[in-house]
Amino acid sequence: MFGLHYKLERKSIGLALAIIGIGSIGGLVEIAPLFTIDQTVEDAPGMRVYTPLELAGRNIYVREGCYACHSQMIRTLRDEVERYGPYSLAVESKYDHPMLWGSKRTGPDLARIGGKYSDQWHVAHFVNPREIVPPSVMPSYARLLRNPLRTDDLGRHLRAMRAVGVPYTDDMIANATADAIGQATPGGEAADGVSKRYGEATNVRVFDGLPGELTEMDALVAYLQIVGRLTDAAYKTAGK
Amino acid sequence: MDSPHDTLVLVSKTFGLFYLIALSVAVLVYVYWPSNRRKFDRAAQAILQGEDKPWR
Amino acid sequence: MVAQLTKSERQVALVILLALTIVGLIFAGAGKDDPIGVHGFLIMACAIAAIFAVISASAEPEPSPERLDTYYDDPSKIGIVLAMAWAAVGMLVGFWVALLLAFPDLTFDAGWASFGRLRPVHTSGVIFGFGGNALIATSFYVMQRTSRARLPDQLSPLFVLFGYNLFCLLAATGYLMGITQSKEYAEPEWYADIWLVIVWVTYLVLYLRTLARRQEPHIYVANWYYLAFVLVVAMLHIVNNLAVPVGLGSAKSYSLFSGVQDAMTQWWYGHNAVAFFLTAGFLGMMYYYLPKRAGRPLFSYRMSIISFWGITFLYMWAGSHHLHYTALPQWVQTLGMTFSVMLLVPSWSAAANALLTLNGAWHKVRDDATLRFMMVAAVFYGLTTFEGSFLAIRPVNALSHYTDWTVGHVHAGALGWVAMITFGAIYASVPWLWKRDAMYSARLVEVHFWFAVTGTIIYVISMWNSGIIQGLMWRTYTPEGTLAYSFVDSLIEMHPYYIARAIGGLFFLIGTLVGCYNIWMTVRGEALPAATEPAGDIPAPAIAARQPAE
Repeated sequence: MFGLHYKLERKSIGLALAIIGIGSIGGLVEIAPLFTIDQTVEDAPGMRVYTPLELAGRNIYVREGCYACHSQMIRTLRDEVERYGPYSLAVESKYDHPMLWGSKRTGPDLARIGGKYSDQWHVAHFVNPREIVPPSVMPSYARLLRNPLRTDDLGRHLRAMRAVGVPYTDDMIANATADAIGQATPGGEAADGVSKRYGEATNVRVFDGLPGELTEMDALVAYLQIVGRLTDAAYKTAGK
Repeated sequence: MDSPHDTLVLVSKTFGLFYLIALSVAVLVYVYWPSNRRKFDRAAQAILQGEDKPWR
Repeated sequence: MVAQLTKSERQVALVILLALTIVGLIFAGAGKDDPIGVHGFLIMACAIAAIFAVISASAEPEPSPERLDTYYDDPSKIGIVLAMAWAAVGMLVGFWVALLLAFPDLTFDAGWASFGRLRPVHTSGVIFGFGGNALIATSFYVMQRTSRARLPDQLSPLFVLFGYNLFCLLAATGYLMGITQSKEYAEPEWYADIWLVIVWVTYLVLYLRTLARRQEPHIYVANWYYLAFVLVVAMLHIVNNLAVPVGLGSAKSYSLFSGVQDAMTQWWYGHNAVAFFLTAGFLGMMYYYLPKRAGRPLFSYRMSIISFWGITFLYMWAGSHHLHYTALPQWVQTLGMTFSVMLLVPSWSAAANALLTLNGAWHKVRDDATLRFMMVAAVFYGLTTFEGSFLAIRPVNALSHYTDWTVGHVHAGALGWVAMITFGAIYASVPWLWKRDAMYSARLVEVHFWFAVTGTIIYVISMWNSGIIQGLMWRTYTPEGTLAYSFVDSLIEMHPYYIARAIGGLFFLIGTLVGCYNIWMTVRGEALPAATEPAGDIPAPAIAARQPAE
């Protein structure tokens, strides 16, 4: 009796193994080469990492589910390039854990939104999208202006990002909270630290129009203003 | 073949074809193997009868 | 329910629940200023409630050994009730988010009520809550019948079912608090993901243990599909959710992959979730319930095996068709497209097999709305897989991607195929499970059927229209060579279709609520006379004789 059971059991496990074997190969063949792709993909030597404030903004973008309606991936099609800007390169999202390429454009693509509108435009649009774009179906995000930004744990966020391969330095991790505040508080010592660690070109200003208050709106606008601008590789490719 | 990436890509691009053919042949042989016919016919009928309680 | 557990199983249950309470306590403590703390309390509350349930039944006697002469159907019953509850919630939220796209101010000024947070509650609620519970409930039913074997124990099926629902609960409440990984259809964060792995491995082991107890050397094909569903979903789930958490007291984690690798992994997951969750699992359902209800064997058992291996093999390559014209290397895109087109062969052979099985039983399809649900599901399955292969062709995808066409395609599959086959299977199994003569009202099944079909058609057609219009407007040029329409122009054109879509969704929702009522009344109704009870199930010929409308 035991022997029979054993044989039957082996057969169902055999079926299971066959399913795993046959099922996993397709994915493996397509995905494995992508992990060696950095040998062939475009190079972007000047590419910088997200500042703590921008990362916090990105996390708000994720939290609010913006990716459900906005893509961040301009395809290599003429109309897309003319509508949104140079097509997206693989290298541009190499620090994006996770990527936010999206799958649906209920609203427009945002891959080149950085620098396209002013901070004031963004804040006004978030508070009441239909005041700026009457037919818009975007929800109002006025509450982001009321929510203070949580900054005390940003160092741990940066450390987790480093663990998955983003080159944050010890200095950046140690100063994460100060840098988040500094990026939205121009003129002070903290602001200089941001420029020192993340480069002179980093946006340092009061993003939400409320000096002295660090809100979630600051973070989200800071993030949007850098989307597509961590490197200019796409513009160089387009210029060629 | 100067980098592991090219090798991987080459394997990916060629391997699938042979794998597909081999697998289809294996499945078709299994399905049309004459002695399996009775087993399949029985299985198709089996759900329609005699499943009112566990065998124990 | 707890009385069905043996004494030692009750003790094991208590240990598990105690451990769960401690885990909840740790999260509640470590995450006191993070949303994960709320989840800690939620986990604790669920575990403690279950502990009370177990303790209050501890005086019950050991279940009699006679139970081993019948199938163990409690988990299937609970699973079906939970599936219908999730269906009502998920579709209601779906209706709401559909309305929000037409009337964006129809909400509250609160984070949880905004579109971006509600949408995953809808998608997860219907896919995992409704679909997942239906799959678990029916798989328990089918694996026991086709193996002629009782589930190996009483505890692990309940653990799988309730553990899975705890996962769904964590997912849905998490989205409302803004806890999400942003990976579509894999939104739940790391701790919920780890919990699902534990539950899922138990499910797999349970399935294999039941199959191992069978007498018949051959495993019936429905089990192949269910098994592929369990196995591959485990594989996809683990790989796609690899991430580094910020800390024990933080719900947030960062995906191990980034950029192009993350995109490919995500859509490898996303597409195969469609393949093995929404297709393989439900095909398993179809290959059992459709022949059973029609009272006829499968048209071609061989064809069902060929399409099984075809689907298992080909689907895995198709994910990259979600990334046409993106930064993904072109050869990967081409591979995805080729295999997507080839997928049509096994998909259509499955659909054809189902429809040909009905040959000689078409009069039953006419009279019995339950069987008609399954028939329409097979038709929609054929339709959707054709559309899927078509949309995977690169130039077509250039037009359709990012538009509502995709949404229409997904709903043709989700409403027309997944939900219809599930309703068919549920209407078939409720009277069998609760030992009723038939459903409470055959007419209400009929009403549900027509609401569901009408709703699906309104929904899908309005999304086809809006998607194609959107895609065409975005790429239309003026004679001078400039883009003819702004994005906002296309948005204005969508408005009437978004209203129509919400109406289609409302129809479908009403049908589901009618179904809930009908099932509720059936469960409350009279059981069959005790004489037929010990059989544990109604033999097939008796069912055929009791078709509700005959």
